[in-house]
Order: sequence, then structure tokens, then C-alpha cells
Amino acid sequence: MTVSPELDSGPDETVTGAEQPWRQLSIRVVHLGLIRLVLSSVTGFAGIALRDDPVWPLVIGAVIGLLRALSDLKRWQSTRYRITAQRVEMRTGWIARKHRIVARDRIRSVDSAAQLLPRLLGLRTVRIGSGESASSFRLDALDRRHAALVQRELMPGHASEPVATAADGSEADVPDTDVPDTVIAGMRRGWVLLNAVSVWAVLAVAGPLLALYWPLKALGFDLLGLGRDLFGWDTRSLAANLGLLLLIGYPLGIAASAVAFAVENWNFRLVRTGTAPDTALVTSKGLLSTQTVQRSDARIRGIAFAEPLLLRWLRLVRTDLLLTGQGGTGEASGGGILPRIRRDEAREIAARILPDGARPLEARLRRHPHGALIRRLGWAVHYPALMSGTLTLFTVSGALPGWVWPLPLLLTPVTVPLALVAYRALGHTVLRDYVVVRGGPLTRRTVALQRRAVIGWTVRQSIFQRRGGRATVVVATSAGERHYTASDVTVDQALALITETTPQLRVSR
Amino acid sequence: MASRSAPADIRLRLRPPRRRLDRRFILWQTLQAVFWGAGVLGVLGGLFWYAESWRPWLLPIIGVAAVTFAVEITIMPTWHFRVHRWEATDDAVYALTGSFTRKWQIVPISRIQSIDTEIGPLQRRLGLATITVTTASSEGKISIEGVNAAEAEVTVDRLREITGASEGDAT
Repeated sequence: MTVSPELDSGPDETVTGAEQPWRQLSIRVVHLGLIRLVLSSVTGFAGIALRDDPVWPLVIGAVIGLLRALSDLKRWQSTRYRITAQRVEMRTGWIARKHRIVARDRIRSVDSAAQLLPRLLGLRTVRIGSGESASSFRLDALDRRHAALVQRELMPGHASEPVATAADGSEADVPDTDVPDTVIAGMRRGWVLLNAVSVWAVLAVAGPLLALYWPLKALGFDLLGLGRDLFGWDTRSLAANLGLLLLIGYPLGIAASAVAFAVENWNFRLVRTGTAPDTALVTSKGLLSTQTVQRSDARIRGIAFAEPLLLRWLRLVRTDLLLTGQGGTGEASGGGILPRIRRDEAREIAARILPDGARPLEARLRRHPHGALIRRLGWAVHYPALMSGTLTLFTVSGALPGWVWPLPLLLTPVTVPLALVAYRALGHTVLRDYVVVRGGPLTRRTVALQRRAVIGWTVRQSIFQRRGGRATVVVATSAGERHYTASDVTVDQALALITETTPQLRVSR
Repeated sequence: MASRSAPADIRLRLRPPRRRLDRRFILWQTLQAVFWGAGVLGVLGGLFWYAESWRPWLLPIIGVAAVTFAVEITIMPTWHFRVHRWEATDDAVYALTGSFTRKWQIVPISRIQSIDTEIGPLQRRLGLATITVTTASSEGKISIEGVNAAEAEVTVDRLREITGASEGDAT
């Protein structure tokens, strides 16, 4: 993988750079500022004049609004940006001037979002990220057309032919260009339900209600009491009440998360774009706020499926891409590439996501020895026992009452079945260019990592593992979670895994 | 989708790396454990003496800490010295550490990003050094503690030469 330096000023750069004019934020930012100015003046005046003594919340609100409006105006005045063939630049700042330059091939994501008032004026805040947790550029705000234009311009493949336009917004209608796109996946209606159903769905209703409860209580309005009366809480037993609550809460929660998912992933599309050596995967989605994330094919080091326990029984998976050269976590890291979908569907899509079309995630895995199961069963008993032992020490010294120490032992009915589940999740193999490892009790992860991405090995053996001829192998890599584990393989399997993955090591041993 | 297995004719096994640490490693580790033990037990003891109401909580903690440090001071340094091994070939750097749990580490030379030697004040007195080999993953980092300082210098120079010759950005 080649990484070009951030300030690559080639000879052609100066030419195109000179052609690209500096652009300004939308004039509507000024309108917005003026509206805010008026609004806060009015509320401030009301706060002072309404009563004899000033109404402090109103006055403070007005002052904040005033400062915000002024900073909006100042920002509009001082911010300039431009997008050339090689880089994205922004000058901003009023007291301290800032000039920021980021190379085009470092751009990973472009988001465009807006709050209510700016949205009414047709404004969008555009965030341009380069893979770090904080976004590199924040253009607050552009009008709708320019926001879309920036998003399009920063798509990979546009680098070769910069769109010469639109400092004045007159010719913002860029023809949808000639870059060949291959659509890999698009939003399907069925996905909404798959992503709405979850154990936590009920929280989608309970959370906002709780959030409302406290402010209303402060205003002297008892939401909980009202709910009790409407619901007839006192006429039923506690169990019946809880059951009824869940019965009502779950459908509502599922509906709420379905709507949230649909809005967030509106028009979801995953495409491969760009010309031959310079291809990239691009996802775009969103109704109210749109997000595009691009992942260069040159940075892809593998792919992974994550299956939380309950979803595994429904055959649903989350798909993560392992990318190198990625600092942040979350959306900006580009890891999560698909919403939660059916496993079969995810496998089809995964084969098209990987540039080489391999299907390592479907490989038949080598089983881990029975010792691994016994070790897990041991943990399932030994950790609760250890906790009990610790509590006993404190009981003896008089810090805790006598009935506390056996409590951890009550966990064993849960931990023992989990041990079995954890053992069944284990597996590993080497398939052509990929190392595949699988494991994890609660969330089962199947990880396929390219062999060339392996940058080191750690083999661990506890006393019991040494006696049983087993070992735990950890693969170090610069992509994804930085390391992946094949737990409790036999020593022969461990050595096979290492030498098949990195054959050059066999020669020297 | 057949999974390949290792060719049967090559009988593989984990061989410990060749080089051992300097004998003064034992003294160094013992001194370190003594300092740590004195510090931790001193603070805990002070709390125990000062805060009467905490005593039921502190007593078990002090007990466990005392036993741990006693083992750390008397047994662990020698045990570690007998286990720890390392080796740097033209292909990879190997290290074996641990006591109850053994840990073999392998980093291919082509994946090394930086090599550091670190000599603390106590190590300087004893003529020891710590070699740290860093890769693009924190999990792929190897620390070899308690190598003879002169030996460390030679090794690090040689590794720098080899890594300088290999290509790519080590990811």
C-alpha cells in the first residue's frame, strides 16, 4: 500500500490549484444569524421588560443566542474552502487564523446534516472526515445544492477531473459523471424489520419517556403519576403490570426503532467506484442527514461477521470490514459496512465486497480439541468460586455479612451453558490468502484476515494448556481490532496455522 | 473449501529461542519487586494504621498483597530467568516469557516498525538493557527485559541494518 504524503505539491498541482477558486459558506448563514439576532433580542427584551425583576433564564438564553448569532456571522465572513484535484483546504478563524490542508486520498467520509432552523432555510452542515475520531473539516453551513456538490466531488474517481464550478452557485448542477459504479448492495424493505427487533427495543420508548419525566417533574407535572392513573397500576399485581407494560412497550419500541433505522439508512447503497487500480467502496445513506463513507480497496485487509447470541439463532449477522490505516472507531472508522442482515444474504454481499471475490467466511473450520471445552467448563465453575472465595475473606474479616459469600455460585447455571456455547463457537483455518478465526461466547465473531496483513504472532500456554498440549494463538495485525485470537488449539494446529500463514518462518525454524 | 493441514513430513514443534538473559536480571527483578512491595505495602499499612473503620476491608487486601510480593521477591526472578529466552535471526525476532503462563512471540523482520533500547537508572548500574520491537499493532510488540547492555547494542544495530534493507511500510 502506498501512502502519499499530505502535502504533495506536484507540478500539475499548482496549475489545478490556481484554477480552483476559494469558495464561501452560504449567504443564508447570514440570514440565519440575523434571524437568531432578532429572536434573541426579542426574548432578551421580554426577559427584562416583562416583570419588575428580570427573568434570568430568558436573559441568559438571549445572551447565548446573541453570541451564537455573532459567531455565525463572523464565521461566514472568515471561512473559505476549496477542493482541488489533490487536496481539500480550508481557511477559517477570526482571532486565530487557521489554514488546514488534507490530501484527497486521506478523505474517508463526508456527512451532511442539519438542525431544524438551518434546515428550514435549506442549509446543511458538511463534515469531512479523514478517519480520525474528530472530523477534519466542518463547513457550517452550505446550502443544500453545494452540500450535495461537495459530497459528489469528494467521491473517489472525481480526483482526476476536478469540477470547475460554482463559487457563485450558478452552475451547481454537475452532470452525474462517468465513473463506473458497481452496485454491490442496496436498501431492501425487509432489512427494516430485521434491524428493529432487539432485546433493547423497549428502551427506545422507555428512554425518551424517562428523559421527559425529570424536566416535567421540575415544572411540577407528574408524568409517572398520570401514567399510573391512566394505566390503572394499582388494580393489578406487580407481575401482571410488568407483563402488560412489556406487551405494550415492545411493539411500540420496535416501531420506533424501525422508523429510526429507516430514516438513518434511507436509500442505503454500497457501490464500488473508481477506475482500476484506484477503486473504493462507497456507502451512502440517510434521509434527514446524509452520510457517505469511502473505503479504498487498497486498505482492505479482510472481513468479519459478528453474531450476538440471540441474533445467531435468527441467522442474522453484522458485517465489519477490516481496514488498515484507520485511527478512530465507530462510523468514521468505516468498519461497519452493512446493517444487520440475513447470513446467506451477507455471504453473497461479502463475496462481492472483497476485491478478490474470495469467500473465506464460508470456509469449513478446523475444530478445536475437547480440552478447550473442559477448560471453558472449568472457568464457568472456577470464576464464581473465586469470587465466592474473595467474599469469604471479607466475611471472615468482618466487612461483609455472612449471607453474601455464596451469591456468586448462583451464576453457575448461566456460566456452564455459556461455556458450551463458547466452545462450539471456536474454529480456525487457513484458506488460500486468508486466515480465518472464530470465537466468542456472547457475540460470535468470524474473522477472515488476509495473510499478508499478519504482522506478528503470540502463542500463549498456561500450565494446564501445556499439560494438555494446547495453546492460544494471537494474530497481530494493523487492521481492524489490531489482534485476533484462535483460542485453545492443539500445539500441532498452532504450528500449522503459523507456518501456513507465514511460510517464510518455517525456513528459519 | 477443503482445509489444508500441515504436511506430515515436517515435524513441527515449539523450540525455545536460543539466547538467555544476563544473570544480573535476577538481581534487577528482585530489587524492583522489593521497591514495589515496600511502596504498596507501605501505603496500605499507613491506611490500616490511620483509618480504623477501613480495617475489615484492608486486612484481606494486605494479606493477599503480602503473599504476592513475597513470591515476587523470592521465587519469581529466578523462575523468570530460567524461562525467558530470546533470539533475533535474519527472518524474525523471537521471545519467550512468562512463568505459570508461557508466552512465545514472533515478529517477522519485515513487519518491524521501530526498535528501541531502554536503560533505566537501576538497569544502568547493573549493565542491563531492555530491547523493544514495535509493529503496527500493539499486540505485536515485543519487550525483552534484562539483556546484557553490550549484547543489546550489537543486536539492535544489526536489526536496524536488516530492517533498513527490507521494503514496504510494515503493515
